[in-house]
Amino acid sequence: MDTLNLAQWVFDSLTGTGLLWLAWMALASPQLIRAIVIFVAFGLLMALTWVRLDAVDIALAEVAIGAGLTGALLLAALAKLTAAQTEISKSDHRPRDGRAVRALRQLPAVLMFLVAAGLVYSVLSLPPVSSGLSVEVDANLGTSGVENPVTAVLLNFRGYDTLLEIFVLLLALLGVWSLGGLPPQRVAPAGPVLHTLAVVLTPVLILLAAYFLWAGVKGPGGAFQAGATLGAAGVLLQLAGWRPGPGFARVHWRLILVAGPALFILVALFTIVAGRHLLEYAPEHAGTLILLLESGATLSIGLTLAGLFFGERPDDGYDNDN
Amino acid sequence: MQTLHFILALLLFLTLGAGLWRAVVGPTAADRMLAVQVFGTTAVTITLLFAQAFGNAALRDVALMFAVLAAVTAVAFVRRAWSEVGVDDDSE
Repeated sequence: MDTLNLAQWVFDSLTGTGLLWLAWMALASPQLIRAIVIFVAFGLLMALTWVRLDAVDIALAEVAIGAGLTGALLLAALAKLTAAQTEISKSDHRPRDGRAVRALRQLPAVLMFLVAAGLVYSVLSLPPVSSGLSVEVDANLGTSGVENPVTAVLLNFRGYDTLLEIFVLLLALLGVWSLGGLPPQRVAPAGPVLHTLAVVLTPVLILLAAYFLWAGVKGPGGAFQAGATLGAAGVLLQLAGWRPGPGFARVHWRLILVAGPALFILVALFTIVAGRHLLEYAPEHAGTLILLLESGATLSIGLTLAGLFFGERPDDGYDNDN
Repeated sequence: MQTLHFILALLLFLTLGAGLWRAVVGPTAADRMLAVQVFGTTAVTITLLFAQAFGNAALRDVALMFAVLAAVTAVAFVRRAWSEVGVDDDSE
């Protein structure tokens, strides 16, 4: 075994064991702040693992969503939780859990066990050596309209899956709004350091989102990575004390949220009317249509993620402005 | 050159072990968060070394993503969790 192979073997064994150890530490930690910080570290290590596995698209998404945005969301949720717990301990009217509630608490464990068993079964039932569908993807890449096989699968060959994923994100935000959202919050104005960071970094993040969107045609990148970067810009702005104005929140925000899913449905209808299958593009228009769909999806994903961090319903908190 | 780049990445990765120990042990929330920030910075370097070692330019985009998103997480910690959790979270 030469030095490079040995070094790679050491690196890969350390990432593998490190992932398991961090996952256990995050799950077993009694302190929430510690669990969140270790979860962020887990996301970073996971991204490095994807890099080692040569899955650059997934590494990008893991850094942006797994480590970055989820970490910020969890930290914000912890702040809310700490405030709520102080309220509860003040009133001290917490009813004792009945037997049914305690039994219900076991349900997630049972479900997770079933999912884990299913995963183990499907991994064991895989053939030992298989090229999967990569041969077919490579053979049809020429007609897909893009050069990145991952984008070709996500937006062309399996466009239907991505259509549903876009709706899942929208549903998540609608779920938050249906639960009433957060009460309007007053954020302290940013100090000079944070203000400067927000002023400098937000345009960079928006530029980066456009870059990832465009890069997805030829290499790793695409709507989800670009949308997550745009979402990070929204989160940064909110952390710096920015609030969407009433007009933007009521009209523009909602329109952009719907833009991605609506474009998808329009293109799907268009392909059916043109006598093709759902989301089956004519090869000469495929590139343009994919870029159009990805642009809409980027905007919608970005504003959905920023909206999840915002947590308030767009109609709330602006009553005095009417 | 490839071997040198990879061994440098491996050495950087080993220093992460020390950082992760701080993230797990604490004692304050800021210690943990700073350790994860070190993780992010080191991950940028490791990814750049990989990009050089394996000639994969797309990995530089991953490094860029590591760099900008780490800043957002740090700001989220300071603005949302820091004042609420307080300095000595181990006293709970």
